[in-house]
Order: sequence, then C-alpha cells, then structure tokens
Amino acid sequence: MTTLDVVRGTAARVADAVKVHGVGGTEVRALDHVTVDFPAGRFTAIMGPSGSGKSTLMHCAAGLDTLTAGSAWIGDTELGPLSDRKLTLLRRERIGFVFQAFNLVPTLTVRENITLPLDLAGAAPDRAWLEALIDVVGLGDRLGHRPSELSGGQQQRVAVARALAGRPQVVFADEPTGNLDSQSGGEVLGLLRRSVDEMGQAVVMVTHDPTAAGWADEALFLADGRLVDRMERPSAGLVLDRMKAFERGRS
Amino acid sequence: MNTATLRLSLRSLRAHKRRLAGTLLSILLGVSFLTGTMVLGDTLRANFDTLFADANAGTDVVVRSADVLDSQGTAGGVRAPVETALADRLRTIPGVAAAEPSVQGAGQLLGSDGKPIGGQGPPTLAGNWLTDGRLNPYRLAEGRAPAAPGEVVVNRGAARTGGLHVGSTTVLRTPDPVPVTVVGIATFGASADGMGPSTFTAMTFADAERYLTPKGAGQAGSIQVRAVGGVSQRELADRIAPRLPGGVQAITGAAATQESTQLLSGRFLTMFTTLLLVFAGIALLVATFTIHNTFAIVVAQRSRENALLRALGAVRGQVLGATLAEALAVGLLASLGGLLGGIGVATGLKALFSALGFALPTGGTVISAAAVLLPLLVGTLVAVGSALQPAVRAGRTAPLAALRETGVDRAGQGRSGTVRVALGALLLAGGAPVAVLGATDGPSVVLTATGALAVLAGTVVLGPVAAALAVRTLGAPLPRLRGVSGVLARRNAARNPRRTAATASALMIGVAVVTLFTVFGASIRATLDDTVSKSFAGDLAVTTASFGAGGSGISPKVADALAGLPEVRQTVGLGRGVARIDGHGRTLDVTDPARLPGIVDLGRVDGSLDALGTDGLAVSRSEAQQHGWRLGQTVTVGFTDGASGPFTIRALYEGGGLAGDYVVTRQAWAPHRGQDADTMVAVGLRDGVSAAAGKAAVEKALVPFGSPQVQDRAQYAKSAASGVDMMLSVVYALLALAVLIALLGIANTLTLAVHERTRELGLLRAVGQTRAQLRAMVRWESVLVAAFGTVGGLGLGAFLGWALVRASDSAGTGSFAIPPGQLAVVLAAGLLAGAVAGLRPAGRAARLDVLRAIATD
Repeated sequence: MTTLDVVRGTAARVADAVKVHGVGGTEVRALDHVTVDFPAGRFTAIMGPSGSGKSTLMHCAAGLDTLTAGSAWIGDTELGPLSDRKLTLLRRERIGFVFQAFNLVPTLTVRENITLPLDLAGAAPDRAWLEALIDVVGLGDRLGHRPSELSGGQQQRVAVARALAGRPQVVFADEPTGNLDSQSGGEVLGLLRRSVDEMGQAVVMVTHDPTAAGWADEALFLADGRLVDRMERPSAGLVLDRMKAFERGRS
Repeated sequence: MNTATLRLSLRSLRAHKRRLAGTLLSILLGVSFLTGTMVLGDTLRANFDTLFADANAGTDVVVRSADVLDSQGTAGGVRAPVETALADRLRTIPGVAAAEPSVQGAGQLLGSDGKPIGGQGPPTLAGNWLTDGRLNPYRLAEGRAPAAPGEVVVNRGAARTGGLHVGSTTVLRTPDPVPVTVVGIATFGASADGMGPSTFTAMTFADAERYLTPKGAGQAGSIQVRAVGGVSQRELADRIAPRLPGGVQAITGAAATQESTQLLSGRFLTMFTTLLLVFAGIALLVATFTIHNTFAIVVAQRSRENALLRALGAVRGQVLGATLAEALAVGLLASLGGLLGGIGVATGLKALFSALGFALPTGGTVISAAAVLLPLLVGTLVAVGSALQPAVRAGRTAPLAALRETGVDRAGQGRSGTVRVALGALLLAGGAPVAVLGATDGPSVVLTATGALAVLAGTVVLGPVAAALAVRTLGAPLPRLRGVSGVLARRNAARNPRRTAATASALMIGVAVVTLFTVFGASIRATLDDTVSKSFAGDLAVTTASFGAGGSGISPKVADALAGLPEVRQTVGLGRGVARIDGHGRTLDVTDPARLPGIVDLGRVDGSLDALGTDGLAVSRSEAQQHGWRLGQTVTVGFTDGASGPFTIRALYEGGGLAGDYVVTRQAWAPHRGQDADTMVAVGLRDGVSAAAGKAAVEKALVPFGSPQVQDRAQYAKSAASGVDMMLSVVYALLALAVLIALLGIANTLTLAVHERTRELGLLRAVGQTRAQLRAMVRWESVLVAAFGTVGGLGLGAFLGWALVRASDSAGTGSFAIPPGQLAVVLAAGLLAGAVAGLRPAGRAARLDVLRAIATD
C-alpha cells in the first residue's frame, strides 16, 4: 500500500480500540475492541443510544482522548505516541471539528472564527478557497458580526466553515444538529453533505438522530462499546427501524 | 436570615474555597499590616517606656529649670541649666541620700577606624559618670569609672560598633574634638548594651562641665536626687520644692519618666504610627476593590443558582443574606489570620526600619486589646462592605434567570452607564479645577487634597467607561506580536470593562500613590538642588553625616581655622539655636553675617546684614510678611537661659535658602548659648585653587576636629537630598504591600475568568491552540489589565503630585520635577508584575482537560 493510497483510502481509523473509564468497581468499558475505518470522501454517521460509546469513539479517533489499548490513526499517523503539542498541531492542521454547542469564540468575528485554526498555526488562508467556502455557507454579509448576533443555525454553519477552512483530512462532527430546529439542522447537514460530494471531504458525525444519519453514506451502530451493525446508504426510516430493533433486543 | 440560608452560604463557601482564596489573602494582608502597625506602635511605646523607667530607676527627684523653650525641630525643647552648687544645698535636706548634678549633651565618638559611631536617628550622648551607683542607670561591665581628665566610660553597644576596648584612645566630638581614653565599658541596667540604640560616653564631672556646658563650670542640666529609705518620691519632691530658687522645679522620678515617654509618643511615635496607618489604609482600600470584584464575579457566576433559590421561594433578603454571610465568614477568617500575621509584620517592620537606618529600641512585643479588636473589626467590615453591592445584586436576581443561559462574562453590564458617566464626569470636572486652584492660587493643601480625592474617585468611577478603549489602545501592538492569541488576549481584556476597570483600579491606586511620592521626592530633590545652587556660592561645604537626634555638629572653631588656610578665601559657619520670638519658639541661624557675602547668598537684602550687632535680627521676607513686621520694627527675643530683650529687625532677606527664617550674630547669641555647634561651614576657595586641591587642604586641616566630612557643591547638593531617597525607599517598601494586593486581585479575577471561560478555552484547544499559545493569551490579558492600571496610575499620580507639590509650597520657591527614569521603572515593574500575576491563571488554563471543557453538559 502506498502513502497515496492511505491518504486516498482511509482518512481516519481505529484498530482494536479499548477505552476504560474509571478503575476497579466503577470501571466502565466505553469501547470494547472496536475496529473501524473512516474512508476518505465519505460521510459516516456513528449511531447509538446514550452510553453506547459513540462520543468516546469520536474523541479517541480525533485525538481529543487517548485509548486504553489499541491504536488510532489519522491518515498514516498513529496518534498514541504523539506528545500533547504534536497532537494539538495535528488537530489544527489535519482535523476539523463541529461540536453540538459552543462552537465559536464569542470575542472573535465570524471571519476570525472561520480562520481561527489557520491563524493559530500562523498559516495564510487560501483566499479563493475561503471565499468559495463563505459562499457555500451563505454568510457573506455576516462576516464582521460576533457569534452572539447569529442564530443557532447560522452559528453551526460558521462552525462547519471553520472545520473545512484548513481542508483537513477529516471533519469530526459531534451531534452538530442537537440544538437546532429541523430546518436549521437540515441546512447544516446539507452543508456537510456538499463538502463530501463537491470537495471530497471525509466527514465523521456522531448522532442519535435517525434523520441526521439519513444524510450519511454509511451508518455505524454502536451498543455497549461494541460495533454491532453497519448500514450502507441509510435512510431515516431504515435507521429508525434498526434502532428500534436494538431497543427490543436489549430489553 | 435563617438556618437554611446560613447553611447555604457556608456550603457554597466550602465549595468555592479556591475562588475566595484571593479575597481571603488580600484581607489577610491588609489586616496583617494594620495589626502590625498597631502592635509595633504599642511595642515601641512600651519599649521606650521601659527604657526611660530604667534610666530613672534609681532617681527619686529631678531638680531642673522650670522653663522650657520649644521649637519645631527640637525634641522636647531646651531648658536653662541649673547651678551645680545647688546639689550641695540639696544634700543638707533631710531625706536626701544623694544629690548629683547631671550634665548631658551631644557627643559623638569616633570608632577605631576613625569613623563616627551612630548618628543616624538615635541620640549620641555624652555626660558625666554619676558616682552614686543607684542614681547612675549604667553599670560597669569592664574596667573602671573615669577619674582623670580625658578618661571615659563607653556603653557596650557603642564600644562594640566602634571596635573600642578598655585602653583604646579615640576622639569625642562635643563638637570640639576631645582626645579620650576608654577606661571602662558599661551596660545600661544589668545587661543591656545601651539605652536603646543611643550611644553614651561618660566622663568625669569636671570634663563634662568643661566640654558640654558653655560656661565651662558651675552649671548642670539637672540635679538627680535619691531619697533615703522610707521617704517617698512625692514626699521628697515636696520637701525640696520650697528650698529651690525661682525658676527651678523638683519633679519626681516617675513624673520625669512619664514626661519623656509622652514626649516621644506625642511626637515621634504618633507621627511614625500615623504614617504606617496611612499605608495600611491604602492597602485595605486596594483590597476592597479585589474583594468587591471577586464577589461580583462569584455572584454573576452563581446567578442561575440564586435564581433557582428565588424560584423555590427564597425572598430577596435571604439571597442577599446568604452572600453577606459568606463575606462575613471570609472577612472574619481572614482577619483572624491577619492578626497572627500582623505580629510577624510588626517584627518585620522593625527589622525593615533598622535595615534602612532607623534604629529602634528592642524589647518584647506588646499586644493591646485595641490592636486586636480594631483590625478584626476593620477587616470584617471591609469584607462585608465590599460585598454589599454584589449581595444586593444577588438578591435582585429574577427567578426566571434560572431558565436562561446567561453569558456570565457579560453579566452586570450596561444599565447604570449614563449615571456612571455623569457622576464620573462631575467628579472629574469638579475635582480637577479645585486641585489646580489649590495648587496655583493660594496655595492651599486642603483645597488640593479635596480636589485630588474627587479626581481619584472620578477616575475610579469612569474606569469602566475608559477600560475597553484603553485596553484596546494599549493592546494595539499585540496582534502583530502574538498573532491570534494576541487578538484574543486584547479582546478578552476588553470583554467586561467593569471587571477590567475594577481590577485595574486597585493597581491604579497603588501606582498613583507610588508615582505621587516619586514625583514629590524628585521635586523636593530638585528644590534642594535649586536651593544649594541658588544660595550656596561657596566651593566646599563641611557637614556631619547625621540626622535626627544623632551627631554633635561641627566645632564653631572650624570656620576660623579654615579661614587661615592659604587655599581658602573665605569661610562662614552656620549654627542653630532656639529662642522665643514674640512668645513663639523659633529656630535661629547663628552666624557672622559679615562673612556671608560671596559664599552664602541670602538673595535680595533690604536693610543691612552688617549692622545686626548684638540687638539686631534679620528675618526672611515671607516670615516678616506673615507677622506683618517691617524693617526697623522691634520684637522681643527670649533665650533659653531666661534672658529676654528687644531686638530690632535690621534686614529682610529672601527665604528658602540655606538659612532659615531668622538670622542673628554670634555676638548676640554668645551670652545665651548652650553647647555650641555649627551645622555647616561654607568655604570659598581662592581664585586658581582647584576644588580637589582645596578639598585636600581643608580635609587635612579638619583632622584635629575629628574629620567632619567635606563635600564639593555637587556632593553637598546630593547629600542634602539623601534623606529624601531614604524616605522614598521606606515609602516604596510600605506601598509594596498595596501593590501586591492589587496584583493578587488581577490574578484572582483572571483565575475566575478562566474558570468561567472553560468551554471557550476547551474549544480553542480542540481546534489547535497549543498550551503555550493559551498560556501566552492569558498572560497577555493580565499584562494588558496591569498596563491599564499602571498607565492610569502614572498619569493620575503625576497630576496629583504636581498639584500637591505646588499646593504645599507656600513660599513659591520650590521646584516641580518629573523623573522620567524612575517612572519608566514603575511602568516596567507594573507590566512585569502583570505578567507574573498572570502566571498562575495561565498555568491553570493550560492544564485544562480539553474533553471535560467541551463536554456538552
């Protein structure tokens, strides 16, 4: 396998990942030997009920948290041996983030928030790319505003623009529509979809909302820290059915 | 308040221990200072008390002149001498066991290295060795009592400092140099090295009379009397009183002790403790800002919790009470800690003063009830008072706020904006002109001080309005220096102007006071320079390096001795004396007016200085104006020996120079003089003689006089200002605490801000801010807040310094100076201190767990 293949093929990957929270009597196995590849140019949704380990999987894959055992990779870089500083640099250069809430720094303008990771790295943004991105996000007239002057949906769109600004290897989105109404949520998801289709971006999204998962190329189902199922080209209805089946199985 | 709210406030106190640590510490420091000051005052008072009691332990009655002549600058005033023959008559009175004349004067010993011993504050005394073992508070530790001319006993402390032993020969300046041989070393009482830090050289009675009294024989300062067993002090004093000549009194030993102590506490100690209390007050004032800010932030952060309480049925008073109870607990706890710290501070302050050259007596620490209760009360009140406004705001929390997600950083902004601007503008617009008016027209210190306070208050009130703009301006270069972290630091500092202003105000007050004193000191120095350059026309000045009650001055013979040197054109000595002029004690300059021209310039003279004679007086123009005196007018001058007579004002001169407000001739002074000494001898060299050659010749000629120091003009001007530098260093040391409290405030506010920005910091870390960048961001915010406070303080302090310098200069002869170098140091120190204050919050922010910070709940 050549390096190019790796970059082309797999944006991020965890292998035999184990994550244990707490010790002794309070020990919780959040990830239990999970192996999964997130291919480049694809939109992957990680589904599962609360406590299934889906957020932990994302945090470990993105280098925000460390694994107890197993390995996590961004492209061909293994995260385990990296120092805090190297990890930080990797995050700002090769990963984009969209969180559920509090995505933007309140003291920075919309434009400054979008270029924040690039500014932190001291890198000059690619102007044409930035303009195109702003155009896609549709906030051209709001660039000088502060986040507090935007609606929740607009704020999340800015967050998506920020995540894409540095053309990262992979974008991780953690419940990006959790705080939004369905229309704003649709706009944000549509944006992520377009980034995959038009820009070839890899996107990994954690969600418990079947509608959101319907926008993805593939849905992974987690339960009790294990990867229990996966579904190609999911739709909201199919996902909902599958979830209900799990609920029944559990009870 | 009921138990529920009390429980609530105590729980919250325990939960937020770290948040209130800064508050606790600033109260603790302020209270420590206050307690320390009071304990030090009490201790010194008690120490001096013991000292004087010991000195008079064996003395039952003191017979002395009843009349005391008092003037500014003489501690305790000057008394006429009594006849020594009186002692013989007293001995015949039944009940008198011993009566000995006591002669005491100034006498400074030279050490084995030729350098004078002591002289920096405490008295350097010389006198006769009292032969009655009980009357004499000193005990021989080594050697024997002086028996022959030139033999002396030296107190152990002085001997140790000067490296003198039994058998050493040295010189005693009285100020005429007396060659002496040490025959004994004495302790004060059983074991002390001396009477406090003072030095004492005891000679035979004949020597003491000869060197320390103007007539050379037959006169003593007092007669010390001891009673036979069974006769009380009171009884003996009553028996002696009727047998005394007019103008002589007998007081008991106890009364003499009390008088000495009161004199000292009335002047020196009161001034000393007042000075310290002022600085303790500044420290506590600065602390109030820190406390207020902390509680304001804590209340804002807790608004959801308080709203929940309100929603559940807590009335306003209960929420308010819970916050106040918390402040009360913190204040009480911190004050108790401060009490303990204060005892340490008292010891530290004492050490500080002796390190800086003010020797103070030693002895056990005394803690009075007032020194415990007052600081406790003040500390608690400061805490509760500072928390009052935040508590009221807490009480006003709307129950609905529980349901809203409010940005805590923005809480409590706006609203009173217009009121604030109006009030601040009013205070500034009212205060500044009043201060300027007081400085220029009048001048009036009271007016200026009132204006200054209004300006200070106005600045503090307007702080929040100015904060955002100021921080943005000061931080303008940051984005270029530190990139996006710099941008963030600058915006964060401007984020909550009220909080930034309150934090910076504390530092601003500290820096303003530092600047005020720096400017004041520089101006005094400039004035002294100016005085020397204006009125000192000579080439060399002979002075003694001493101040306070120490030293013994310069022999009046020096001026004549130096005048005879081939290198010297002209000399004149300036001496000091006190006299009563029209009933008021005044300091006179005693000199030879005919020798003044050419070396000491009194400015424009009306009348003639040459014609003063033995019944003439020269008066400074400003003093004459104040009393409405004119040339040719006659005033009554009363001397210490009781003589009094009319003196004619024969000359008026410009004041503010080397000479004080009154000048008399040596001839006029001679009949009434006490132990005579010049404070300075001005020397003019012949043309063609270099300053160095002249100085060498003069120094050589001064060796027989115990080598007082010789300075050229520049050195003289500099040394005249050296007292200013010492005062400044004391003031800086005392202000350091206030500045430290202000910095604690910055650190505390930042720590709280970091706490409430957890989510935001986590986000920054997640999207790629390194720990180093995050630390830099917090540190720079701290530096910006400190810069705001420092720059504001510099400006405010410089203005107030100018106003006060002008206002306190009633003669209009002073200079005003802004020392750019020193102020640059203050600025640099302020910025650096800001960076240091930011270290801990920055460290805490950098240690933040990214995952926990971005967790959604």
